[in-house]
Amino acid sequence: MDLSVWTQVAPHVPVLLRGFVVNIQLLLGLISLGLAVGVVTALVEVYAPRPVGIAASAYTWFFRGVPEIVLLFLFYFGLSQFGIPVSAFFAAVLALGLRSSAYQAQIFRGAFQSIPHGQMMAARALGLGRLRSIVYVVLPQALRLSLAGWSNEFSSVLKDTTLAWGIGVVEVMRQASYIRARNFTLTLPIYVTVALMFLVLTYVGNLAIGLAERRLRVPGLEGQR
Amino acid sequence: MGQPKYVVLSDIAWAPFEWVSEKGDYLGFDLDVMRAIAILEGFEIELRDTPFDSIIPAIIAGRGDIGASGFTITDERALVISFSEAYWDSNQAVVVRAGSGLDLDMVASPGRLVGAQRGTTGSFWIEDEWVPLGVTLVEYETYPEAILDLLAGRIDAIVQDVDPSKMAVVQYQGQIEIAGVVDTGEQFGFLVAKGDPKEILPRIHRGVAALKDLGVWDLLIEAYFGPSLGAIESAWEKCIAILLVERDPLRYAQCLAAELRP
Repeated sequence: MDLSVWTQVAPHVPVLLRGFVVNIQLLLGLISLGLAVGVVTALVEVYAPRPVGIAASAYTWFFRGVPEIVLLFLFYFGLSQFGIPVSAFFAAVLALGLRSSAYQAQIFRGAFQSIPHGQMMAARALGLGRLRSIVYVVLPQALRLSLAGWSNEFSSVLKDTTLAWGIGVVEVMRQASYIRARNFTLTLPIYVTVALMFLVLTYVGNLAIGLAERRLRVPGLEGQR
Repeated sequence: MGQPKYVVLSDIAWAPFEWVSEKGDYLGFDLDVMRAIAILEGFEIELRDTPFDSIIPAIIAGRGDIGASGFTITDERALVISFSEAYWDSNQAVVVRAGSGLDLDMVASPGRLVGAQRGTTGSFWIEDEWVPLGVTLVEYETYPEAILDLLAGRIDAIVQDVDPSKMAVVQYQGQIEIAGVVDTGEQFGFLVAKGDPKEILPRIHRGVAALKDLGVWDLLIEAYFGPSLGAIESAWEKCIAILLVERDPLRYAQCLAAELRP
């Protein structure tokens, strides 16, 4: 690759960044949705009565078992069949967010189950109700333990946002294809640039999660059973 | 009552039929034709960029009204959507590395690796006509990827529509060339939902006929097929207000063609 191609890529970087902002918006939307639904699903799986727990397991089974691109099509084209005209962006947040919630539920479920049962009994002995015991005693510890697994999910869904072009969301890969369509010779350099953007964001994101993990660590508590 | 509004779906990354300018505007032959027809026939359009493979599903699902994206008319597609009359003849060009000395007969011979974009007429052509001769078909998601592999020597030739191929040859000056053109009798049509429930096709047909009568059609062809994309973009920017604001297709096409004449 000729070095001069990089000077040709430079003017296109703002356009790529405009697309990348859409990926970040998708990420924020889907990961918040996934977090909220994921925590609730995990709580239900671990603590709710059996029939409800089974329903939650079926939910995670479905969203972990269907390919993401299929979920995107189901939400975008499928919902409109029922007279719900969702925008491509919203359909992408829903499809990718619910899928992520199923994975996040697994992370949280493992964390809930790793909190020794004695803590629950101790909380109940102190007079806290079952719900309060979960919210004030188990949940904070479990969330802290989940951070490592969660950083993995973060890196994974960040890259999944590029799939949203499949239903017409103009994100960074689409901006790249606009540029490529009029400058065939820039195909490779443009994708290298996109790769760098994702690498930087993954690095910064994981760094932030790592810092949070260290900050929230309670000395002496880790590894106890 | 306002004018009806139709959502036009197009995969806007296929110059010169449709592409996004450096400044982010949607332009191209298909799109300007749609804009001009909308003015002549009194409807409004909303252009929506959609992946090529998703356009037909989107129209079936009611997420769009018109597909304008260089669609080849095929019996298979006509089972699920309705086509307009053909508006464009497009044959397939065979692109090879410059200086390779390959001609059409040499490409269509045993042991050759020939690339094409997945789902396009080029790949169907290779499959039907050349694979029985011993050619191996290599499919790519996009045309530029195929060119990269051609340049890298991993394939011997690429089959793609004539106009994008010409554009590729201009961009890769001296590196690739057109070995020949295969007459596939391929024609493009606009498409709408099966059975045309909104009665859009008659409007498209009247619009195309009017554009041809007025001379707009030929001027647009002159403007879009030949000049470099950069030149078309600056001419488009100068003239487009005549179409969108003054709503005068003829003066617009004259302006565009005049700007691009040497």
